[in-house]
Amino acid sequence: MCDYPDPDEEYELMYSDEFELMREIEDKTDLNPIKNKPLPAKRSLDFSNHNANNLSNEKDDKKVSEKKDDAISLTPSLQNMEDVLIPSTNSSTKRTAEDLFGDIGDIDFDSIELPSKRQKTEEETDMDLINKILEGRRLKQMLLEPTNRVKVDKKVNFDVKKNISINIPRWSFVPITNSNGDRLYIRLESEDSWDKSLDINTGQLSLRATYASAWEEAHKILEKKEQERVQKEEEVSEVAPHGENQSAMLWVEKYRPHSYLDLLSEEPVNRALLHWLHLWDKVVFKKDVKMKDPQQRNSFSKRAGQFQLTNKWKGKKESEPEIDEDGRPHHKVALLCGPPGVGKTTLAHLLARLAGYRPVELNASDERSAEAFRNALVSATSMRSVLDAEKRPNCLILDEIDGAPVQTVELLVKWCTTTLTEGNKKKSKSQPLRRPVIAICNDLYATSLRPLRPVALIVTVGCVTVARLASRLVAVASCERLKVDSRVLSALAARACGDIRMALHVLSFLRSKSQLTIQDIENVAIGTKDTSKSMMQALQAVFTLEDGKSNDILRTIQAAGEYDRLIEGIFENYLTARVDSRLLIACETMSWLLFYDTVHSWTMRNQNYSLYGTLPLCIARCHRLLASRAQHKLKFPMQGQEMSRRKTELDSIVLSVWRGSSPNVVVNRNVLRLDVLPLLPYLLSPTLRSANIQLCSESERQTVRVCAGAMCDYGLQFIQQRTPEGLYAFVLEPDIHKVAFFGNEERVRTQPAIRQAIAREQQLEMIRRNEEMAGRVNPRKNNEATKNKSEENTGEFNSTDGTESRLPNHLQRLQPKAVVKSTPQLHKDFFGRIVPTAQAHRQEAIPDVISSSGVFYQYREGFNNAVRRNVRLRDLL
Amino acid sequence: MSLWVDKHRPKDLMKLDFHKDQALRLKNLVQQSDFPHLLVYGPSGAGKKTRIMCLLRELYGSGAERLRQETMHFTTPSNKKIEIMTVSSNYHIEVNPTDVGIHDRVVIMDLVKNVAQTHQIDSSGQREFKVVILNEVDDLTKDAQHALRRTMEKYVATCRLILIANSISRVIPAIRSRCLTIRVPAPTENEIATVLHTVCKKEGLSLPSELAMRIAKCADRNLRRALLMCEACKVQKYPFTSDQKVPEPDWQQFIREIASMILTEQSPKKLGEVRQKLYELIIHGIPPDMIFSGLLCELVRNCDMSMKCQVANHAAEYEHRMRLGNKPIFHLEAFVAKFMAIYKKFVEESLGDAF
Repeated sequence: MCDYPDPDEEYELMYSDEFELMREIEDKTDLNPIKNKPLPAKRSLDFSNHNANNLSNEKDDKKVSEKKDDAISLTPSLQNMEDVLIPSTNSSTKRTAEDLFGDIGDIDFDSIELPSKRQKTEEETDMDLINKILEGRRLKQMLLEPTNRVKVDKKVNFDVKKNISINIPRWSFVPITNSNGDRLYIRLESEDSWDKSLDINTGQLSLRATYASAWEEAHKILEKKEQERVQKEEEVSEVAPHGENQSAMLWVEKYRPHSYLDLLSEEPVNRALLHWLHLWDKVVFKKDVKMKDPQQRNSFSKRAGQFQLTNKWKGKKESEPEIDEDGRPHHKVALLCGPPGVGKTTLAHLLARLAGYRPVELNASDERSAEAFRNALVSATSMRSVLDAEKRPNCLILDEIDGAPVQTVELLVKWCTTTLTEGNKKKSKSQPLRRPVIAICNDLYATSLRPLRPVALIVTVGCVTVARLASRLVAVASCERLKVDSRVLSALAARACGDIRMALHVLSFLRSKSQLTIQDIENVAIGTKDTSKSMMQALQAVFTLEDGKSNDILRTIQAAGEYDRLIEGIFENYLTARVDSRLLIACETMSWLLFYDTVHSWTMRNQNYSLYGTLPLCIARCHRLLASRAQHKLKFPMQGQEMSRRKTELDSIVLSVWRGSSPNVVVNRNVLRLDVLPLLPYLLSPTLRSANIQLCSESERQTVRVCAGAMCDYGLQFIQQRTPEGLYAFVLEPDIHKVAFFGNEERVRTQPAIRQAIAREQQLEMIRRNEEMAGRVNPRKNNEATKNKSEENTGEFNSTDGTESRLPNHLQRLQPKAVVKSTPQLHKDFFGRIVPTAQAHRQEAIPDVISSSGVFYQYREGFNNAVRRNVRLRDLL
Repeated sequence: MSLWVDKHRPKDLMKLDFHKDQALRLKNLVQQSDFPHLLVYGPSGAGKKTRIMCLLRELYGSGAERLRQETMHFTTPSNKKIEIMTVSSNYHIEVNPTDVGIHDRVVIMDLVKNVAQTHQIDSSGQREFKVVILNEVDDLTKDAQHALRRTMEKYVATCRLILIANSISRVIPAIRSRCLTIRVPAPTENEIATVLHTVCKKEGLSLPSELAMRIAKCADRNLRRALLMCEACKVQKYPFTSDQKVPEPDWQQFIREIASMILTEQSPKKLGEVRQKLYELIIHGIPPDMIFSGLLCELVRNCDMSMKCQVANHAAEYEHRMRLGNKPIFHLEAFVAKFMAIYKKFVEESLGDAF
């Protein structure tokens, strides 16, 4: 019947919006001609609502018709028939097209929808009814003469518009033939004008808002429908028995999985654990373990896709044998870890039972001191229950092991390892572990578990997927004969975040309510889990834009908690977040970061947390500024820490210089940092013509001495260090170059040879200063000594050395003592007679010189400590 | 004591090189028997400490020059052990309470009490009071300053305080009114040049006056820096030439580099690079307010008048907020970002006007 050529129709569909718009304009300009026609006088301008309207219209239609059926005569029913009929007869292809495009229904069969539209605008149903009947009659008339109607329609629709003509027009066009063979010409418009008209449309109606309202409306309608349906059902099954609900059992207990197939955890996880349990078969049940050939295993892993979940397993498959020489599995303990409520305990119990063991549980409620634990371990692994009818071997399940004391865990580890090593040698004494032990923990990386981790088979139980959890909830609900919609249950499952236990608890809490809706789930306060988000997740959320979740960001930030790290993360990533050539976003973001900093430091300084709640708001504001749809890689905030680390490093250098500097030159640390240290390296790098200090001129030597003095003043030292190449190099300690320079630290390094010269000079200088210090500490003694000496000198010899002491120490040595020789002396022999000078001179002058000098050596055979003298280092220099 | 800075430090009040009338007044002050608490303030490198040491020598004779370094231990009320380095002679003790951060109050209370409660051993012919020198008083916490207030009055008989600060704007008025405030202004460039000349003469070197002026200019009216620079010049190249390169502290150069980076390009990418440089500065312990002022000085050169006001205004605002917060890098970067935005807008507008 409807044989419009396809392209034409497509065209029409494409431009239907435009047509409508034009029509609307027309409508506004001259209403009268249209009013006269049986065409829609009032059209809903809001075509974003169109779907919803259509839906509601249809429904309303149905309702109304039902009412009419109840109420009155034949004609309306006939009209009702037409409602169904006309579209199908008139343009069935159109209908499908409409399904595709949604909102183009109004080109041809506006006339049919008209009544309902009007009905919607006016609320009084009675009037509606009358109108509808009238309309229906008119429509029926039109139906009887379809050709006419179409013609009229076309004319009315398009004549006015000047976009369609019956004759060949002058403007560009596309020909269309309708079902009756009439040929029409439709104006062809350029892409640009189409775009323009689109822009106008979108400008008039903000897209999101309209969608939102449409969605809301649709939602409402669905809810209403749902309620109606449920009400009906309730009426039917009002007498559903509530007796079962009162059963004392918790649902968590009641619906605990009873078979392998009931398990909700991931298949690879279950298999891994079961396989490990079966590896014990040889020891426990004395039967050979079926070793699956690797081929099969591989294929399985391919199918499951997640076999790498237990990476221990995978690595072992290649390298280590799964079973050791005792016939026991390589890993003596299986460690199940995962978040609470995912069914770890259930899994362990079920699989142990499945593998033919009797599970013996030891959890946090039992005493877990090392002694009690040892008893439990022994009794569980080496005995079997007598009373139990089925004499099954035990399988020890250590629940919540991450809370156990370290000694306990160590004991367990020792148990495993000793049996491994000593089990062969002295089997009689220490019984090797012969039963499987399954440990369960939440936090795999708890410190107490550190010794256990390397020896255990680690099986990670992940969160249950929402879909699986939802389907389980549906099953539970149907068992309990709860009338809950599956959507509600999936919302509940999503809310539980993979925690089966919590989902079941919430469900059983809500069962008393007659009707569960999504709102109930959303609003229930008890079911909210204190979700913790990682800092990076929150950071990602800050930088990504998601529709309709504006409130979520705040919740995410609060869940993450580490505001300081988050702010640092924002600070490090905000520059790349959005295109911002004028830096306006940067300025704005920075202003929020500054606000955060101010508030935060105020809070910390005053220990007044009343403003602490504003901190996440700053981050949320940053989200507003920075969020974009583009994906980008975020850097983990490291700079701040790195910075403070390096700062402390340099600070410690400054501090050590400061502490080491002598009291005469000590200055503020800041002054040291800003003025002295940056210039000190220049002072310590003199240029000498020759590296050998002996060959240098006096002025150069003076320079080196100044360097050495400065280094002593500021507590610096050149220290000989072995370089990786095996050479020795003089390194400045503390390394003030690091503090003084930015990056180009090597710029003013001293040459190695000069460094060596300075180092030597500095050591001498230090010794000199120490001497001085020592002199100052006991000045009296020192003075006496010098006085005596000088007295001696003046007394015995004529030459006075008063100036000598004031000379630099190292020069003192150079003064020959030979001068004393010339002094005349009276020498007496043993009997008191005066010996002639010449003789005395010949005999005794030499020993006398020796005794008067500071240092002398005398060779004597044998041992003698008669001659002893203090030798000061000063005299040697 | 081999660097010129230390070696040629004047030891006598009458031998000071500049502010001579002030020195004379100080001498008169000391010669009278009484002597109030002093608050000596002035920029770094102006000679505050030199004057104080001269004063002490004037008071106590050369015994005040025998310095020793000691570490004192204190216990905070929260039972935290803190230690602080002191420099002391028989007659005075010098301490820098800000070294212990927020616990400076404890140091001040304990130390001043300790010193004040022990009388001079040999009071004959000596002054009957000891002197406590507190450094960087302007960086003391408010608590510490308030603790100081009462102690100053209570122990005035046995102890005099000499407070050293860079500026008195952050010293509470109560303390200011209890002290005789002595301002030591920074020497002028000419004065610095003369000092350099005299020092070189003592060392037996000849210093061209152009070089002396250049060093004085570079040193930013900081005599300590000037002397160090002069000596560095000497080490690098002697005999002096008037066009010789004057070594400067590297951080000044670094700030200048940052400023030129900011002026060459204004984009988020550049801002990221600038941030790394700012981090470097902070790591090296350059105080953020000095970074602010250094940057501002360099940046403002390339601005016209209206923009200058704007930029200075923003710099002041951000610096103030930096003091309230505790993440200087944020505030520095915020300032740089703001400047970039302003500058870019200005450049674009002026380009627009040109066409």
